[in-house]
Amino acid sequence: MRFIHKNLALNFVALSIVALYCGWAGAMTEDEKNNIDLYERLAPGVVNITSTVMERDFFFNVVPRQGAGSGSIIDSRGYILTNHHVIEDARKLEVTLASGKKYTAQLIGSDPDTDVAVLKIDAPRQELAVIPMGTSENLKVGQKALAIGNPFGLGQTLTTGVISSVGRTLRASNGMLVEDVIQTDASINPGNSGGPLIDSSGKMIGINTAIFSPTGASVGIGFAIPIDTAKRVLDDLIEKGYYAYPFIGATLMTLSPGLAEALKLPVEAGAMLVEVTAGGPSEKAGLRGGDRRAQIGNNIVVVGGDIIVKIDREPIRDADALIRYIRRLRPGDRVVLEVVTWEGKRETVRVTLGERPRPVRRR
Amino acid sequence: MRFHRKARSAIVRMFSAAAAALPLICAFPSVLPGFTAEELNTISVYEAVAPSVVNITTMACDPEFFFCAVPSSTGSGSGIVLKAEGIIVTNHHVVASARDIYVTMADNRNLEAKVIASSPRHDLAVIRVDVGDKPLKEIVLGNSDNLRVGEKVLAIGNPFGLGGTLTTGVVSMTGRDIKNGGRVMEDLIQTDASINPGNSGGALVNSSGELVGINTMILSPTGSNIGIGFAIPVNRVKEVTPGLMHGWDRLMGWLLVLIILLWIYGRIRRV
Repeated sequence: MRFIHKNLALNFVALSIVALYCGWAGAMTEDEKNNIDLYERLAPGVVNITSTVMERDFFFNVVPRQGAGSGSIIDSRGYILTNHHVIEDARKLEVTLASGKKYTAQLIGSDPDTDVAVLKIDAPRQELAVIPMGTSENLKVGQKALAIGNPFGLGQTLTTGVISSVGRTLRASNGMLVEDVIQTDASINPGNSGGPLIDSSGKMIGINTAIFSPTGASVGIGFAIPIDTAKRVLDDLIEKGYYAYPFIGATLMTLSPGLAEALKLPVEAGAMLVEVTAGGPSEKAGLRGGDRRAQIGNNIVVVGGDIIVKIDREPIRDADALIRYIRRLRPGDRVVLEVVTWEGKRETVRVTLGERPRPVRRR
Repeated sequence: MRFHRKARSAIVRMFSAAAAALPLICAFPSVLPGFTAEELNTISVYEAVAPSVVNITTMACDPEFFFCAVPSSTGSGSGIVLKAEGIIVTNHHVVASARDIYVTMADNRNLEAKVIASSPRHDLAVIRVDVGDKPLKEIVLGNSDNLRVGEKVLAIGNPFGLGGTLTTGVVSMTGRDIKNGGRVMEDLIQTDASINPGNSGGALVNSSGELVGINTMILSPTGSNIGIGFAIPVNRVKEVTPGLMHGWDRLMGWLLVLIILLWIYGRIRRV
């Protein structure tokens, strides 16, 4: 009798262990397991960034103000990818790893046009968990998106959602447009800026950058700079500290069909040169800017400049299209412009793009 | 580049595993390696449903002493294609007080719409666009009585004018009665999928891609999403819209007026 009892008890214990184990494994859906796995694998690669900005108060005393953001470790040498607006004007940058260790970071380079910045910390290799970069090329609306960051300074926070849309356009703080921006409904809040947006295979697909919100906190509409944009500028940032943008050396204005008709020009639409930078690529190529003013309705327009209608055989209908085309190229590249002069002559002009002058850094 | 090669080799592999892979390819025309089953479901539902959701832009005029010369305010909302020939259902509050209504289809066509009928009581409106020879994609209607708290729902709409936005969440509760401007809306679906201004009139679909509700309002101290959104159940839409579409309610109204007139006439005669 006792033997049977013992057996029964043993069986019960064994069964309950099996049940417990199955319970553990079965209590979570595949999706949950995926989330947990990704968080555990990648969270050590996400850092908190504290920036100290010196400001003057009402009495012109210098007072420090601290801001918080996030970043991702992208290289075992200690390079950290974040947003330009997180580190903008910072006097001191402090990086806190997921383990709690603090390091003073050095600003390697930043590009305000795409809101991307690179920092570096001198931490031993074993402290640095690298977040692998994927591609933002073939993203699908509906695929999972995970954001890890430091919202409101809370430290390591995981929020999940899906990709709500792709191909949005965002205006960076210096007025430049960032294209192909990813929209997500994963909660992005102040402090999440600079943190990674991750897909279900654990690859970084974007840098969480902005939100659309009337309240200042997440309403389910967040935006991330695509990783492909960051990758484009990354090498230059590490090497030179800035991204060399191509430069045509001219101020452009959109020549709309209405304006072309009012000015009695033999073109339908294009990009009109208002001013040509002295010594710039356009001047060297012989392009001419405007030299007189004309009044069209209530507006005064500088006229007399050449009108660009095609670039490398691609028709140009407005100034933005030309800028968008040129921004894809590098300094030193050559473009063939089809130009209509003010006198109505059609000309083909070769322009070698220069490097855009950079604003002097305030320090 | 590397990705392309990977994708190509994946396609080659798929073709070599013909019989086994075929149903999968058929089910997910845009199948890509590296997605979880959950993601494939969301992606395929979005791709199936998004063409049936339209963006609505309205121009309204504030009351003026003389007439409305310039549209003074614009609004945005969403709509759902009920019939391929251009019948679209949306919220009453999206088109109420609108002078001009423009509908942008998923294929970027922009058409002017006319309100066929509108019911403030149900906050539902039916509008019509002239689609020409390009019919729209009809949405598949589901059954909102079978909804379970916790099941996945997808909201597709036009929040803050950001067209074609997908947000996801779960059914937080069913059968909510919510007071809305002195009127009680009954039996609403509550969801935590992000619903924002502009999502109104948009689709709430389940994981099979069937319409289960029309996103209508949110509870929020700020006016934008905090994770509490409400949708009109699709079964209510099924009850109300045929009447709206064919003008039965208006017919009944006129019949009532006729009866009253006859009754008054009878009274007068007797005096």
